[in-house]
Amino acid sequence: MHNSHRQPFRTAVLVLVWGWLLVLVLAPNLLVVGTSVLTRDPLSFLSLPLTLENYARLIDPLYLEVFLHSLYMAAVTTVCCLVIGYPFAWALSRLSKRQQTLLIFLLIVPFWTNSLVRTYALKLLLATNGLINNGLLAIGLIDEPLTLLYTELAVIIGLVYLLLPFMILPLYSVFEDLRDELLLASHDLGAGRWPTFIHVVVPLTLPGVLAGVLLVLLPAMGLFFVADILGGSRNLLVGNVIKSQFLDARDWPFGAAASVLLTAAMALLLFAHRLSRRRLGEEAEV
Amino acid sequence: MKKLALAGLLAVTLSGCGSDDQQVLNLYNWSEYMPQEVLDRFQEETGIRVVYTTYDSNEAMYARIKLLDDSGQYDLAVPSTYYVNKMRNEGLLTPIDHSKLSNYGQLDPELTNLNIDPDNAYSIPYLWGTTGLAYDASDVGEAPVTAWADLWKDDYSGRVMLTNDMREVFHIGLRVLGYSGNSTNPQEIEAAYNKLTELMPAVRTFNSDAPRMPYLEGETDIGMIWNGEAVMGKADMPSLEYVYPQEGVIVWLDSFVIPKNAKNVDAAHQFIDFVMRPDISALISEDIGYATPNLAAREQLDPAVANDRASYPTAVDLEQSEFQEDVGDEALQVYTKYWELLKAGR
Repeated sequence: MHNSHRQPFRTAVLVLVWGWLLVLVLAPNLLVVGTSVLTRDPLSFLSLPLTLENYARLIDPLYLEVFLHSLYMAAVTTVCCLVIGYPFAWALSRLSKRQQTLLIFLLIVPFWTNSLVRTYALKLLLATNGLINNGLLAIGLIDEPLTLLYTELAVIIGLVYLLLPFMILPLYSVFEDLRDELLLASHDLGAGRWPTFIHVVVPLTLPGVLAGVLLVLLPAMGLFFVADILGGSRNLLVGNVIKSQFLDARDWPFGAAASVLLTAAMALLLFAHRLSRRRLGEEAEV
Repeated sequence: MKKLALAGLLAVTLSGCGSDDQQVLNLYNWSEYMPQEVLDRFQEETGIRVVYTTYDSNEAMYARIKLLDDSGQYDLAVPSTYYVNKMRNEGLLTPIDHSKLSNYGQLDPELTNLNIDPDNAYSIPYLWGTTGLAYDASDVGEAPVTAWADLWKDDYSGRVMLTNDMREVFHIGLRVLGYSGNSTNPQEIEAAYNKLTELMPAVRTFNSDAPRMPYLEGETDIGMIWNGEAVMGKADMPSLEYVYPQEGVIVWLDSFVIPKNAKNVDAAHQFIDFVMRPDISALISEDIGYATPNLAAREQLDPAVANDRASYPTAVDLEQSEFQEDVGDEALQVYTKYWELLKAGR
């Protein structure tokens, strides 16, 4: 009797999940991949013949430079998020349950506001006559306003601000699982704080670090509006190239190819993540 | 004039979702390019509610209209001259029914029946304006600013602003070298690119959201601006000056067009005619600083506006000026390539 009740429910859930994945994940991605091998057409956006030329153009020094610079800014962003997020997550996991709930709630609250609006708010802080400069001038730390807005630094500040929670949350979850007994055991066996950190804490939290890096590094390359608003349309991300190919140049196949490149990079990182987990798993079993 | 247009990219488009008994007109326009008062008065007089959606470049407007071609999302759009031509040629527009426009006869004959759209079969001029030089008189010192070439001076390093508009930026590069701003010659475009790369280290930001803002915010002191933005900016910051550069200012005309599958063509005509009414057209020009193509409206203008050279240039101001024209898809590809090189260059 249980089974007859459960089966339709199970089927419904499975259909829903698979339907969702097929329609909203697989189909759009296939469309992008399909678009990337077509030819640009000034009148109808896309046309035959099939070609790989769009991918060949990605190696053009211009786009390579944008890609590398974008990767550099995303990497700096990721390192900053890690440096801030790692101790944050550790501290968070040591607090009482009630405090943890409150802090995680506060971490999530900004998501209730559109990220574009929050980026405009950052602009008000960083402007020449913005809050930061006026504050520093008022307490006499600087004589001249600092040039913050429309710089690479402003873009990185914006990216770190928007993406930090994506680093903290996976780290928090691994720190939650880190059992105090293991640290005590390490101390009992004569390891000091530093060796314990290097040989016990780091390996056990590595999956969280990798997950955080995955969630920050690639999205950072796509947040084109941060480069537009805080970078003065000057410090371009890959996302800006994709946007301008779709909107301004109306070269959809090339924009799609650049987009596939990002997806492929993500897939590669996920694969590396899996490999590392498996290796860690094996070590743990040994 | 194009504030928060990025929001339009990210947000789901607002579509007409009013109650059934109320007519809705979907107007797709540049931001800060139509006083709210005009929309309110139109609704008061006709009962038609205007849903105002914005864009920050002709390219974005065109892509959206072309893509949503079949759904008839918009009843009116306001492309610049060279896009009117392009959209007309591609069959994206509904012909204008001149019998429904009682105020058409008041338009300046010099701005109607242009070769971009003979007999205005598909477009009705809304406003025209110029893209010239702006500088903050309290920050650039005594040296007079008279030409596009002045932007290249060392004194302004890191203080220059350009519009985030490929055609306009290349226009100044081309003009400084003595070429036409509508050049389709790849060598000339490349030369303009090389000239502009020299300027790039001095450029602080590109802005087509609201080009007056970087000046008001104190981020930039000199650069490009649209004349209406200069007029609006001067109201907040009296030291913001507008200059017609020696090499020639960029002139543009924005016109109402009705997309092919518009749902409310009648309301679109009603709105065009309403905006062409002299009192309304004068109100718009006074409020946002661009020039009305309506001769009857010009006579009703507040003299302070009518005599403001920033809004209404004299014949001398327009010497060497050039109208923006469609350069064709082939040249557009060349421009796009160098535009990306320019922006990615460091």
